[in-house]
Amino acid sequence: MPDGIVLACLVGLPFVAAIVAGLLPTRARDTASMLAGAVALVCLGLVWSAYGTVSGGGVLRAELPWMPQLGLSIVLRMDGFAWLFAGLITGIGALVVLYARYYMSAEDPVPRFFSFLLAFMGAMTGLVLSGHLVQLALFWELTSFLSFLLIGYWHHTAAARDGARMALTITATGGLSLFAGVLVLGHIVGSYDLDVVLAAGDTIRDHPLYIVALILIVLGALTKSAQFPFHFWLPHAMAAPTPVSAYLHSATLVKAGVFLLARLWPVMAGTDAWAWTVGLAGLITMLIGAYIAIFQNDLKGLLAYSTISHLGLITLLLGLKSELALIAAIFHTMNHAAFKCSLFMAAGIIDHETGTRDIRRLSGLNGPMPFTARLALVAAAAMAGVPLLNGFISKEMFFAEALSATAPVHPLLNVLPLAAMLASAFSVVYSLRFIHGVFFGSPPTDLPRTPHEPATWMRFPVEILVLTCIMVGVLPAATVGPYLDIAARAVLGDATPYYSLAVWHGVNLPLLMSVVAMAAGVTIYLILQRRLREGMDGPPLIRHLDAQRLFERAMVTLSWRLARTLERIAGTRRLQPQLRLILIAAIVAGAGAAFVRGVGPGNLVPAPIDPVLALLWVVGAACALGAAWQAKFHRLAATILLGGVGLVVCVTFVWFSAPDLALTQLTVEIVTTVLLLLGLRWLPKRMQSSSAREPEVLGRTRRLRDLAIATAAGGCMAMLAYVVMTRTPPELLAQHFLARAYLEGGGTNVVNVILVDFRGFDTLGEIFVVGVVALTTFALLRRFRPAADSVELPEQQRDQLEADEARHARDDGRHVADWLLVPFTLTRLLFPVMLVAAAFLLLRGHDLPGGGFSAGMVVAIAIILQYIVGGTEWTEDRLSLLRPPAWIGTGLLLAAGTGVAAWAFGLPFMTSYFSYADLPVLGKVPMASALIFDIGVFVLVVGATLLMLIALAHQSVRGRRSTPRTLPQAKASPRVADAVGGGG
Amino acid sequence: MTATMNWTIAAPELVLACAAMAILMVGVFARRDAWTMVSMLSFGALLGTAVLVIAGGQGPAVAFSGLFVVDGFAVFAKVLILLAAGLGLLLALDWHQREGIARFEYPIIVLLATLGMMMMVSANDLMSLYVGLELSSLALYIAASFARDDLRSTEAGLKYFMLGALASGMLLYGASLTYGYAGTTRFAGIAEALGTAPASAGLVVGLCFIAAGLAFKVSAVPFHMWTPDVYEGAPTPVTAFFSIAPKVAAIALFLRVMTGPFAPVIAQWQQIIILISAASMLVGAFAAIGQTNVKRLMAYSSIGHVGYALIGLAAGDEAGIRAVLVYMAIYVVMNAGAFGCIVAMRKGGKATERIEDLAGLGSTAPMMALAMAVFMFSMAGIPPLAGFFGKLYVFVAAVQAGLWPLAILGVLASVVSAFYYLRIVKVMYFDAGDVALDARPASISFVVAATGAATVLFAALPAPLLGAAAMAARSLVGG
Repeated sequence: MPDGIVLACLVGLPFVAAIVAGLLPTRARDTASMLAGAVALVCLGLVWSAYGTVSGGGVLRAELPWMPQLGLSIVLRMDGFAWLFAGLITGIGALVVLYARYYMSAEDPVPRFFSFLLAFMGAMTGLVLSGHLVQLALFWELTSFLSFLLIGYWHHTAAARDGARMALTITATGGLSLFAGVLVLGHIVGSYDLDVVLAAGDTIRDHPLYIVALILIVLGALTKSAQFPFHFWLPHAMAAPTPVSAYLHSATLVKAGVFLLARLWPVMAGTDAWAWTVGLAGLITMLIGAYIAIFQNDLKGLLAYSTISHLGLITLLLGLKSELALIAAIFHTMNHAAFKCSLFMAAGIIDHETGTRDIRRLSGLNGPMPFTARLALVAAAAMAGVPLLNGFISKEMFFAEALSATAPVHPLLNVLPLAAMLASAFSVVYSLRFIHGVFFGSPPTDLPRTPHEPATWMRFPVEILVLTCIMVGVLPAATVGPYLDIAARAVLGDATPYYSLAVWHGVNLPLLMSVVAMAAGVTIYLILQRRLREGMDGPPLIRHLDAQRLFERAMVTLSWRLARTLERIAGTRRLQPQLRLILIAAIVAGAGAAFVRGVGPGNLVPAPIDPVLALLWVVGAACALGAAWQAKFHRLAATILLGGVGLVVCVTFVWFSAPDLALTQLTVEIVTTVLLLLGLRWLPKRMQSSSAREPEVLGRTRRLRDLAIATAAGGCMAMLAYVVMTRTPPELLAQHFLARAYLEGGGTNVVNVILVDFRGFDTLGEIFVVGVVALTTFALLRRFRPAADSVELPEQQRDQLEADEARHARDDGRHVADWLLVPFTLTRLLFPVMLVAAAFLLLRGHDLPGGGFSAGMVVAIAIILQYIVGGTEWTEDRLSLLRPPAWIGTGLLLAAGTGVAAWAFGLPFMTSYFSYADLPVLGKVPMASALIFDIGVFVLVVGATLLMLIALAHQSVRGRRSTPRTLPQAKASPRVADAVGGGG
Repeated sequence: MTATMNWTIAAPELVLACAAMAILMVGVFARRDAWTMVSMLSFGALLGTAVLVIAGGQGPAVAFSGLFVVDGFAVFAKVLILLAAGLGLLLALDWHQREGIARFEYPIIVLLATLGMMMMVSANDLMSLYVGLELSSLALYIAASFARDDLRSTEAGLKYFMLGALASGMLLYGASLTYGYAGTTRFAGIAEALGTAPASAGLVVGLCFIAAGLAFKVSAVPFHMWTPDVYEGAPTPVTAFFSIAPKVAAIALFLRVMTGPFAPVIAQWQQIIILISAASMLVGAFAAIGQTNVKRLMAYSSIGHVGYALIGLAAGDEAGIRAVLVYMAIYVVMNAGAFGCIVAMRKGGKATERIEDLAGLGSTAPMMALAMAVFMFSMAGIPPLAGFFGKLYVFVAAVQAGLWPLAILGVLASVVSAFYYLRIVKVMYFDAGDVALDARPASISFVVAATGAATVLFAALPAPLLGAAAMAARSLVGG
């Protein structure tokens, strides 16, 4: 078969089968297990079919373009090493499926279980066959995720949920770390292809990023292989169904870490950093795991810690700078898979048949379950490293390596053989405890179920595995030799050293160490036996070193405390701090950039400062400051002060010879202030002083701080403006307009020419907007009802009323009629004068300061004055011409009509025409077509301003009537004939 | 600079603008409740615009004397924005009716916001940039306070407006500084001015302010604070819309501005982007953990996602931009789906937004729980779901550009963020719930199913998106 098909089937088939199994009905236990078993066997066959190629040192390789833009393709690659692991995964997978068929209860949704299991098998195969680093990381995460689902299979129990969560947290985190490491590694090499990476050993080790990549990748491997200090998730994962433990937590998943370390061994190992990280982690894990295992009361817990310890042993071997150690590591990986898997299955059988896994409650099971007892005995002996079993051989290799290791520093070198012996002795102790505690002693009593032998087929996988243990143990070279050789050569290539697989190497130091460790183990067990039987509360000495508690505490700290703190610092729901932060950030960013880049004053020398103007500006600044300070407490004062600021700006414009700007500014300032005041009348009253909830000093401090921020922001703005304005400006638009205003627009007032001619189209758009805004204001305020506390008469009127009532000579309501009598007369006299002024401004606008906008504002001001002093009704009764919507419409039509008229002369839209007309009295007057446009602007501005004014002013009329809620809708016409009372 | 209108290439925008106004008239003059009709017409408008965008070709061409540009990048972003707007509107269909805020103005606001966003991504000048930005922002302010009788919604709108106005002001200030120094607002002109001499300091300060304004719009740290409040306060479908369409537009605009006019000073802005990207990822990861309100959680999540997307911008090269585009496309899909599930969270006729209200969803609504789990896993970046590839792309781009510390930080941040995404999964499947959610309307099921399928199947068929993103990125920087 072509490589591609074999490899694709190996990875793809389990996934397809997983989907099929997932779709089976919940009770279809047999169908699902048959399917899973068949798939596992087919995969095993596929692996075997590749033997021919890999045994000759060949590599199966298939590449599928996937995301070519990223250089990401699916690369499947099987060399001897991957082949061995693939065989392990599929072979043990087949056995586990058979076992699970009998282990799982018919009540459980078994198809789901097999679905997860098959998917896991696919992911794991994909992991070992990955020829691309990113793809490897992807499958890595997938195995973590599926292991989460499998551990949490019985999700109705809290233990399963917690265990699943913990396992996922640790391994997925490690997986992401691996992902980052892989990215860095790929960056170093320049390719993510495994073949390329494996050929770039020197480049990697010499690269400055080597340490970064190493730490990230090792983190990934250590978390996955449950190495110290990440080991604690594995015992909690024992809440999974036992087939899962047998498969994932002894043979496959936890081996992914050591698989990766071995895979990258040729290119990353050999440095001190590697030895320290990998070796040290392995050493500590091996000892701690074995020590804790002794004191476990749960069968599976004991096996879990034993697994941790053995994985530590393998990791330690990988951390040594020796090719032989690597071979020993691979060999022990296989051996451990065989005996640990069978032990897990045996534990599962015991649990299944007796109903408990507590070693203290179990005893004497040798009687009712003799076959199981013998199988477990052999497997446990292999775990303890008894001669003639597979564990012994790899342990001897380990001892030999421990003795000859060239560890980076001497203390570690000296301690290594001792640690090896100690761990070996511990492993004898817990193996003994397992066997002796469970199968020997007094006959079992008081168990949840009556123990008996399991179904024959349930025991069958255990038998196969135990048989393997014995075969390998007796005839290592003949059975496992060739396969181990293939794997070793695939990793090491030509660097593979000579090694011999034999039971008997003669009497040497390793053998002696074995004997000592065995004797020590037996002795320790005999001493501890009594106390262990009674049950100890965790392992002595390190009882309080509860990694799980540390984990939980770390999670809580990280996830709640830190998160809360961070949110408190970096987040708030209040608007003011948010505004403050944005301002500060902007100041810091702007000032920082300016400071770093060294912005200084430009080349132009600023004009000397006129003391009078400076004084004026001091007044203006004081007004601005006062407005800001009072904005919260006294809106009226703030508004008036703002008017002062506007006035200073206005004078400044005049000072610097910009009369047209000054004019516009002045009129706009007046109108906006008046409208603001009118609006203020209807806002609810604000507090007059800061709230009493906090000490005054705090409030003051806060305001002072805000003042400082505002000053800083203002200062920075001023600095920037200064810096910009002291430079020769680049070729800006102003020159363009200045040069052409008269030639092409026929006017000398450039601003006006720009507005009505050059950018006439823009102005047209703008006046449309002004009109729409006015209409919207009116429409919105039509439904507006003032707040209750602002409906009552103003304080001044109330005082006057009281005074009137006290004096019987005065009629009620006289106070309104007599209100501001002198100003009232004056404003009436002023009205025509202002209209003439407006006309003047309008006509001269094209050449001299003025224009339609200013003129419109002046008329609006004139009318507003009448409103203010004369009152709404009085004014509207007399000015029946006031139909603002009509004014707005007329203005728009005039302006747009001027533009369209150009078409009539065959010119583009908005082309203007100009000449001068001699009018009687006035003399020579510019008569550009733009003037008509300007009149349109004028009319519109008057209409729009008045409409807004009316909308506001009528609140007072309506407010007076609003005591009952049955108000007639305000009419579209602003005329309010039926109003009573007065006052604007 | 040719003084030519060339308005045909802006046909999609013109059509959308006219359609929005026409539909507004339909809504105003309709006799009966116009919600359904206006919504359907709006879908039609979005669809028609999308057809025009795609049929209009990849340019590159400029219109309105160079104010407006259409290139592959703009087309990609516009299609994404239109898709996001459509999804957002679809989610609102039922919700607004049930909440009694099914006023016909909403679809029109969405259309106008979309129009603004399309102008943003096609901006070729600081002026048109600002106009587009403001058009969309103003529409969004209103959308946030659309449930105007709801205190939280009005507060959200007001806050958004206040802060948004401040940010706009900063952007405008930066733009005026830039204009003052470069003498032009045209992107090409600014690039020229920056490219000729050593970059003048004033321009760099201007860049700072523009970046700050844009960072606000994408809600990157430290301009993120409005996000949780506005997301929580706004009606849920509006939040859904906020979290997808404006994000795409703002990120696209960010890309265009940084890699266009400011390309010559990459060394300056790269530092800014790295800083805000890292801060956004961290804040997004940590601050979300403590949340109990699912909308606030999604707000922080979106801050984090912006951080990831900005990694690609920090890389600043073609690969980086491609990565950002892929990331945003995937983000739109999965976020729309997640919000679809959140919109469907109603118990006894009332909307709920606490995370614990999802308890027991695994048994009461298995399909929805499955979909939500897919979205959460995808956002956490767990393979083989789409979210993983989005992250993969930006990380690879960052590592290739030598920004490996940022990539590693990103990976670490995604570890932390996985924590709270998985918490939702845990609540759905492992916690016992009391009351089942109300039956969900077909529109939401459709959104959730479609986006869920896209999230799952992306890995199988990545080529179209990747190809389109590659073309778009090339049109932006490849010349």
